[in-house]
Amino acid sequence: MNTGLDLELSFNNLLQGFGISSEISHILWLPLPMLLVLSSALIGVLVTVWLERKVSAAAQQRIGPEYAGALGVLQPMADGLKLLVKEDVIPAKADGLLFTLGPILVLIPVILSWLIVPFGQNLLISNVGIGIFLWIALSSIQPIGLLMSGYASNNKYSLLGGLRAAAQSISYEIPLALSVLAVVMMSNSLSTIDIVNQQNSFGFLSWNIWRQPVGFVIFWICALAECERLPFDLPEAEEELVAGYQTEYAGMKFALFYLGSYINLVLSALLVSVLYLGGWGFPFPVEWIANLLGQNVDTPLVQVFTGSIGIVMTIIKTYLLVFLAILLRWTTPRVRIDQLLDLGWKFLLPISLVNLLFTAALKLAFPIAFGG
Amino acid sequence: MTGFFRQVADYTQNAISAGKYLLQGLAVTFDHMGRRPITVQYPYEKLIPSERYRGRIHYEFDKCIACEVCVRVCPINLPVVDWVMNKETKKKELRNYSIDFGVCIFCGNCVEYCPTNCLSMTEEYELASFDRHSLNFDNVALGRLPTSVTTDPSVKPLRELGYLPQGIMDPHEVPNKDPRAGKLPAEVLDWMKQESSKEGEIASISNTKEEVN
Repeated sequence: MNTGLDLELSFNNLLQGFGISSEISHILWLPLPMLLVLSSALIGVLVTVWLERKVSAAAQQRIGPEYAGALGVLQPMADGLKLLVKEDVIPAKADGLLFTLGPILVLIPVILSWLIVPFGQNLLISNVGIGIFLWIALSSIQPIGLLMSGYASNNKYSLLGGLRAAAQSISYEIPLALSVLAVVMMSNSLSTIDIVNQQNSFGFLSWNIWRQPVGFVIFWICALAECERLPFDLPEAEEELVAGYQTEYAGMKFALFYLGSYINLVLSALLVSVLYLGGWGFPFPVEWIANLLGQNVDTPLVQVFTGSIGIVMTIIKTYLLVFLAILLRWTTPRVRIDQLLDLGWKFLLPISLVNLLFTAALKLAFPIAFGG
Repeated sequence: MTGFFRQVADYTQNAISAGKYLLQGLAVTFDHMGRRPITVQYPYEKLIPSERYRGRIHYEFDKCIACEVCVRVCPINLPVVDWVMNKETKKKELRNYSIDFGVCIFCGNCVEYCPTNCLSMTEEYELASFDRHSLNFDNVALGRLPTSVTTDPSVKPLRELGYLPQGIMDPHEVPNKDPRAGKLPAEVLDWMKQESSKEGEIASISNTKEEVN
């Protein structure tokens, strides 16, 4: 098995070369990937916000932000700065503690979930064995935070929005988990690294989307619902609920919600690309290309090259999906709460169950193609 | 049992057609992304108001005879005509005239009925002010010559859709001098004159025929 680029190993070796013990070098290493992933998540959010505004403008034949930086690229920074210096208001009759805790509880699980997002063979914070299950578990914490902030705001719109968010998250968690389960069944592992590796033997032909087309669609629908993106943005439906559970929030607390929703969107797109679109895999296996060019895959230069291609491929796939989400936002009308629950329980749940059973049957029938 | 399968088939068909419509919608949205923005970048670009645009009212003090027709036709008797009777000349002497544009609805009745044409509509529409009392224009403010979008060097004037050449939807695409689609009012008048003279000839010919009969 090709181990690829291992930055941790090289870093530790380098420090031990200076005569530092392995424990200390490990401790020195620990904050680096965390900082890197946190900052890449934040930059990803800034890019997504900019993309959302520009693509929305283009879909409506407008220009969009133009004066803050070239093509308005600094607009999300300006938004963030504005929210940072705004007054932090807690309504008089609201529960201060829960009101403050809500946005934190929404944001932290989303950021924690970045733990398992791989950008390359060894380019992730930790290759935990339960991998994708950790994400599913963490994402069920979020509705508690939403409900908490909705309830603590002491406002009927916030409460309704929080209740809707909780109902929506809980109903769409199940088909989401079931479609992930089908993928897991094929790759015999919960680890995101194994899931990607299992898809990359024949380039884009071996991506999971061909073996799990139904699962892909269900996962994407559920991911949109989990992110509260249109057509499932009814927890914050501005025409009926002002801004749902965010109604009473201002300043930095609102910014946390805002950040959380966009990090969640990027994360969902990343996980779709990891689970179904071959993660960091190039459409044609890099090993083949390296062999074709007469290069050894294990030479440092080629490894750096394949590593960067992996990161670029992950980002390209992710942002194509983000683009699709934005396009869907301006195409689809918002569903009603009863339609949302109907779709979740009466359509996606049975279909994802059938998909799971079908995958199991195919796995037994064709163990070569479906990971026996 | 067949009923159940039919239900499943119908349901699947519905789901597939829903997906198809969703893709159609996505195609429409995607197509819009390739089109040029139709927005007017307001402080830098402005639309040219049409000829009959009802903007700020212009007033000529010297033409006014203080007849107060404008006050009578106004839906809310808005114009204030301040005049005194000069006993010696036995004539009205106008002292002041004002219209409050914070209250005016720009219906144009006063302009329509003014016997001496001292009132007229301009194409000015940027009347915003920090204080509503400064919207009350007296005869000096009303007599100020209107500014035009086309003469302002800091503004790029853009034509509205009806004033563009045929087939052009975006004023950015063509220079301002290109002739608009269709005939100008003067050309229409010429054409009407020609037509009426032709009709007159035909009518006179038929008349002579009838006389002969």
